[in-house]
Amino acid sequence: MSESLNESSIENSGENSGDDRPPWSASEFEARLRQIGVERYHDHHPFNQRMHEGTLSRQQIQTWVCNRYYYQTRIPIKDALIIAKARDPQFRREWVRRIHDHDGVEQGDGGLELWLVLADAVGLHRDEVANFDRVLPGVRRACDAYVEFVEGHDLLESVASSLTEMFAGNIMKVRIAAFERHYPWVTVDGLRYFQSRTTQAPRDAAWGLAYVIEHATNRSDQERCTRALTRKCEILWSLLDAVEAAHARPSLSVHAQLRRAEPGRDATVVLPERAVELNATGAEILELCDGDRTALDIAEELRKRHADSDRVWNDAHAFLDEMERLGVLTA
Amino acid sequence: MSSSVAVKADSPRMPRMYNLVAELTYRCPLRCVYCSNPLDYAGTRERLDGARWGDLFDEAAALGALHVGLTGGEPTLHPDLVEIVSRAAEANLYSHLITAGTTLDRDGLATLRAAGLRSVQLSFQDADVAGSEQIAGVDVFEKKLDFARNVRALGLPLCVNVVIHRENIERVPELIDLARRLDAHRLELANTQYYGWALANRAALLPSRDQLARAARVVEVARREHRTPEIVYVLADYHAGRPKPCMGGWGQRICVVAPDGHVLPCHAAASLPDLEFWSVEQRSLAECWLDAPGMNAFRGDAWLAEPCRSCPERVRDFGGCRCQAFALTGDASATDPACDLSPHHQVVVDARNEANTPPLVYRGTG
Repeated sequence: MSESLNESSIENSGENSGDDRPPWSASEFEARLRQIGVERYHDHHPFNQRMHEGTLSRQQIQTWVCNRYYYQTRIPIKDALIIAKARDPQFRREWVRRIHDHDGVEQGDGGLELWLVLADAVGLHRDEVANFDRVLPGVRRACDAYVEFVEGHDLLESVASSLTEMFAGNIMKVRIAAFERHYPWVTVDGLRYFQSRTTQAPRDAAWGLAYVIEHATNRSDQERCTRALTRKCEILWSLLDAVEAAHARPSLSVHAQLRRAEPGRDATVVLPERAVELNATGAEILELCDGDRTALDIAEELRKRHADSDRVWNDAHAFLDEMERLGVLTA
Repeated sequence: MSSSVAVKADSPRMPRMYNLVAELTYRCPLRCVYCSNPLDYAGTRERLDGARWGDLFDEAAALGALHVGLTGGEPTLHPDLVEIVSRAAEANLYSHLITAGTTLDRDGLATLRAAGLRSVQLSFQDADVAGSEQIAGVDVFEKKLDFARNVRALGLPLCVNVVIHRENIERVPELIDLARRLDAHRLELANTQYYGWALANRAALLPSRDQLARAARVVEVARREHRTPEIVYVLADYHAGRPKPCMGGWGQRICVVAPDGHVLPCHAAASLPDLEFWSVEQRSLAECWLDAPGMNAFRGDAWLAEPCRSCPERVRDFGGCRCQAFALTGDASATDPACDLSPHHQVVVDARNEANTPPLVYRGTG
C-alpha cells in the first residue's frame, strides 16, 4: 500500500574472533540469565502491567486472549523442532513432556484446550479463536519469528531461548490474582491454564537451566545463550506491542503533510525526511485515523467495506503499524 | 523504487524529481574539516534572489518535487530567506532548513515558521564544546543547543545530523543522549564522505573497523531501547565493501541547484571535469534537469562499464558515487572503488590501513 522513499540505513557489526576469555562460573552465568528476565521479560510491558493493575477493558482482554492463542499454538511446534535437534534419548523423553503439556495426551486436555476454555470465559467464540482469523499481523510475525529462531539455531540456543519459563511461574501467580480481583466477569474455569503453568513452568525451567549451564562451557557459547534468551524476551515484548497497538487511536502526525489526488497518485504523505505514496486503500485508511477510532475499529470498518474482508483486515493492521513506524501516524 | 533494468540505451528512464536541494549560498561561519563545499567555493557568490528561487520552486513542484531542502553553506545567510521559505510554502513544497544553527535567533526562526517552514535539520560536530571546536574551527556548541531548544519550542520537528569520523565516533552514546535530550525525532549519524575537504583530511578522519563496529552496536542497542529519536546510521562506504546508492541514482530523484544557479545531480558534481551543466540563469529548471548533457552523462545504467554492467547489484547502488570514482581513479565513469569488486579497490584498502594522524587542514574562510 505504500512506497517509502529516501530511505538509507545500513548496518554493520563485528564479532570478536580468537576468543580466549574465561567462561563465566555457573552461578555468574545463571545470574546473567536471570538478569535478562529482570530487565526484559514482558511482565514489565505496559500492557501486562495494566492487565495486572486491572485497567484493561473487556475488549483489550479479548484481543490479548485471541492473539496469544496463536503463540500458544507455536509452542508445541517449536518444542517438536527442539526434539528433532536432540541426539540424546533422555533429552527427548524429557522434552516431549512439554508437547504433552500443551497438546494434551489425548483430545480434550492440555494447555491449548485450556486456552480455548479461557477464550470462552472471556466471551469469545472458541472456533473464531482457533482459526486465527483475528490474529494481528504483528503478533503473527513475532510468533513465527520464534519458530524460525528455533529452526535456525542449534539445540543449545533453542533451549536457552525457552528459559523465559524461569520468569513465567511468577507472572502466572500475579495474573491469577489480578483476574480474580479485577476481572470477575471471567469465570474461574478460564483461569485453569494459568494455574497449570504455575507448576509446569518452574519444573521445565529448572531442567532447561541445568541443561544450558552444563552444555555452555565456554564464554562464546554462554553468550550465545544470553543472546538467545534476550531475543526471546524481545519476541514476547513485540507480541504485546502489537496487541497494544491494536487499541491505540492513531492520528496523522502534526508534521505530516497529506497531499491528495495528484496525477498518477492517490495520496502522498510528506514528512521531514521522507515521502510515502499511498494507493487508494491506504488513503482511505488514513482518512479513518481521526484520533478517536482504534486500529481495530479502523480495520473492522475496512473489513465491512471491502470484498476480500479477512485480507483487508490484516493489511489494514500491517499498514497502520508501518505508518506509525514511519512517523506518518502517531498513536 | 522501480529498477532500471529494462531501460534501453537510447531512452533513459524518465526521472521524477522528488527533492530539490536549494543551495542558497556557500558562505558559512564554520570551517569544518570535512566541508562538502567545493574546494574553490570561495569564488562563487550567490546569484539567485528570493523571487528567482520562488520561481524555481514553482517549476520544481510542477516536475513532481515534494521536498525542498534549504541548505548551503549556511542558508540563513541568504538575505531573502523569509521570502524563499514563504515561496516554498506557496509552491506546496515541504521545506526543510538545513543549518548549523549559529546565525538565527528565536525571533528569526519564529518568522520562518510563520512563513511556512516545516522542519529543521541541525548539524552537530560533537557532543561537547571541545570536540565541536576542534572540528568546526570555531566555538559554536552552546549556540547550537539554544537553537535546538528554539526549534522544539516553536513546535518544529528537529533532525540532528552529525558527521561521524575518528575523532567523534567514540562519543556516539553521548550524541544519542544529546539528540534525545533535545527532543529530536531523528538522529543521522553519517560517516564522513571522503571527497572535497574530507579527502584532504582522510587519514585523520577515517575510523577503524573496530570503532565502526562498536558504534553500530551502540546504535543497535539504542534503537531497541527507545523508539525516538529514529537513528539513521549511514555506514562508512570505505568499510562497507559495497558502494552507497549515491543520491538514489544520478539525476533520478534529487536535483541540486547551486548558489550560482547551476543545476547538478549532487552538490559535489561540479568537481567532475568535462561535464556540461546548465544554469537556471539561462534556461528553465526543467531543461537544466532533464536535458543538460552533464545530467544525462550517468543517468540510468547504459553508461555502466564492467564490473557494474553485469552486476545484479547495479539496480541497488547504480555503480556508486561518481565523484568518489573520479577523486580516487581519475575516471568518473569507473566503478566506485568503495566496491570490493572494483579493480581500484586497493586504494580504499590502503586508506583504511593508514594509521597515522596528520594535522587537520581547516577550510579557509571565504
